[in-house]
Amino acid sequence: MTTPWGLALRHIREHWFRNLLTVGAVAVAAFLFCFLVSLIVTLDSQVEESSQNRLVVQSSVSLFVTLPIDYHPKIAEAPGVAEVTKWQWFGGYYQKPENFFAQFGLDPEPFFRMYTDDIAIVAGPEMGTKAKPKEKLITKATDATPERREAVLRAMLAEKRGVLIGKAVAEKFGWRVGDTIPLIGTIFPRADGGSWEFQVIGIFEKRKANVDEQTMFFRFDYLEEALRQKAANGPLGSGTYFVQVARGADPSTVIAGIDALFANGPQRTKTSTEAAFQQSFVSMLGNLPFFLGTIGGAVVFAVFFSVVNAMLISGRQRLRESGILKALGFRDRAIGALIVYESVLLTGGGGVIGVALAFVLAEGLRKVLSNFFPNFIVEPRTMALGLAISLAIGVVAGITPMVQLIRTKPTEALRSVG
Amino acid sequence: MSEFIELRGVSKSYSRGGENLQVLDRLDLDIPRADFVAMMGPSGSGKTTILNVIGGLDRPDAGSVRVADTMVSEISSRTLPGWRARHVGFVFQSFNLVPVLTARENVMLPLLLTPLSRAKRREQAEFALGIVGLTDRMNHRPSQLSGGQEQRVAIARAIATDPDVIVADEPTGDLDRDTANEIMALLTRLNGELGKTIVMVTHDQVAAESAKRILHLDKGVLVESGRRGS
Repeated sequence: MTTPWGLALRHIREHWFRNLLTVGAVAVAAFLFCFLVSLIVTLDSQVEESSQNRLVVQSSVSLFVTLPIDYHPKIAEAPGVAEVTKWQWFGGYYQKPENFFAQFGLDPEPFFRMYTDDIAIVAGPEMGTKAKPKEKLITKATDATPERREAVLRAMLAEKRGVLIGKAVAEKFGWRVGDTIPLIGTIFPRADGGSWEFQVIGIFEKRKANVDEQTMFFRFDYLEEALRQKAANGPLGSGTYFVQVARGADPSTVIAGIDALFANGPQRTKTSTEAAFQQSFVSMLGNLPFFLGTIGGAVVFAVFFSVVNAMLISGRQRLRESGILKALGFRDRAIGALIVYESVLLTGGGGVIGVALAFVLAEGLRKVLSNFFPNFIVEPRTMALGLAISLAIGVVAGITPMVQLIRTKPTEALRSVG
Repeated sequence: MSEFIELRGVSKSYSRGGENLQVLDRLDLDIPRADFVAMMGPSGSGKTTILNVIGGLDRPDAGSVRVADTMVSEISSRTLPGWRARHVGFVFQSFNLVPVLTARENVMLPLLLTPLSRAKRREQAEFALGIVGLTDRMNHRPSQLSGGQEQRVAIARAIATDPDVIVADEPTGDLDRDTANEIMALLTRLNGELGKTIVMVTHDQVAAESAKRILHLDKGVLVESGRRGS
C-alpha cells in the first residue's frame, strides 16, 4: 500500500495555528494526566513500599494520645518482636513557623537496624565539615557504606543532641554535618522560652518511598531527659512505637500479642502494619485518589473530543483531496491511513511535549508539594502511559474522518468543496 | 483502426431526492486508439458519467466498458485504483491540484504509485512539466500560478505516468479564450505527437473543434456531429 505520508506533514504545516492549538491542548492534557497520576502513584507508593514486617503501635483512642514509655520493655518482650523503638512526634520549627518539617524522637540503635534497607547515609562525621565546599559534603546514595552508617550511629550515641536529617531538609536550610540546629518546640517548649539545640551527625537519602527526606530523627532520651529535669514542658510518652517483627514470625500474631498485652490498660493499643498505618493517612485525605483520577479522566475526555472535532474539520477539508488521490490511483486505505497518521502526529507531538514537561518540572513540583507529597515522583511508566493515551486519542480521533474519506466515492469527493 | 475504448449497452442511473434519474441508457461507444474525441451536450446529459466509467471512477449499472484489453467494468474494487494509476490520466475543469504541494510535487504524486526511485520520479515530473512548458514554475504552489498554468500542471500530472488514455472534463471551463486555446493546443500535441487517446467533455464549441471527432450526447444517444477537416 503506497501512501503519500509527506502530505500529512504539509497539511500540519499549512494549518499550523489550528494544529498548534490541538498540540497544545494534548500537551496540557498529557501533562495534567502525568501530574495527577503521579500524585496518586505517590500516595500508593508510600503504602506499597511500607513494610509488612514492621508494625506501628499507637493508642487505640487516637494517634494524638501518647503511650507510656514503660510500654517499651513490655513490647520488646512480646513474642515475635525483634526490635522496637519509640517514635515521638516533636513538632518543632526552625526560626519561624513556616520553616516547619517533621522531627521524630527515637532510639537510634533499633532504628538503624530496622531501616537498613530504607535509608542510605550520604553524609557522616568522617567526611569533615568546614574544610570542604558544601556540595562535596553529600555523596550519592550508591556510595553509602556500612562503615559510615556505623560511624553515624556511634556518633549519635556519643552525642545526646545528635540528629540524622533527610537530604531535603539539609538542602532546604543549607545544613551540613557538624552544624548546630536551633529548633523552637511547640509541643515541647523549653521552660526558659529558648530553643532546643541539635547537632547534625549524618544526612540520609531515602531508598524507599515510605521514608520522607524532609524529616529529622533525634534521640528520644534527649527529650526525655529535658522533660524529667523540667527543662522543657510537655507529655512524657511516645506517640507510637515502631516494631520489627522477628524473622519467621507471623505479623498478625505479633499484632494480636502486643494489643493483648495492654488490653487492660492503662492505655489500650492499636497495632497495625506500617503499610496499614500509611494507608490510614491516605484514607484521611478522603477519596482524593478517586477525585484526582476523575479530574484526569475528564481532562483527557475533553481533549479527546476537541481533537475529534479538529480532525473532523480536517477530514472535511480533505474530502476533495481524497477524491484527487483516488482518481490518481491511491487506495482508500492509504487515504484513510493518511488522516489517522496526521491525527497521531498531532496528538503524539502534544503527548511528547506534555510528558517532557512533566519530566522536566517533576523536581520543581516535588519541592512545591513537599509538605503534602514529599515523595512526589513522575515515574517512567506514568510518562509511558501519558504518551500511550495521547497516541490512542490520535488513533481514535482519526478514525471518524478516516471512515468518511474511505466511504465517499471519488466522483462525489471531487465535487465537494474543500 | 481497432477499437481501443469500447462501451456496450452501458446504463447508469442516479437517485436524487428519492427520484431515479436515468443518465445513460444502453449506450454504445467506440473510440479507436490515439483518437481525440470531444463530447458535447446539455448539462445532465451524462457526458461526465461516460468519462467516469471510462476512467474507472464510476461503474455502470449495466453493460460493459473495455479499455485496451481490460474489461474495466469487471475489475474488482481492490484492483481498480491500480489500473487507474497505470492507464488513465485525469484533467478536470477546476484543475484539482493539491494546494499544499508545489507544481513538481503535484506531478510527482501519481509517480509514487510506480516503482521509480525518488530521483527518477523527480526527473520524470520535470520532463512532464517541460512538455507543458512549465519548468520555470515547478517550485510554485497552485495558489501562485494562473489558471492556465494550473491546468498545464494538471495535464503534466495526467501524462506523468505515461497513461494510455487521458480523460478531460471541461479542461477549458474555467479559462479565458486565449488560455483555453493554449490548453487545447497542448492536448492536440499530446494526441498528435505522443499518440495519447483523449476523451474530452466540453461545452465550448471552439475547444471541441480541436478534437478529431465531436460527439453530441442528447437524451442518452450519442451522435457524431463532426470530424476535424470535414
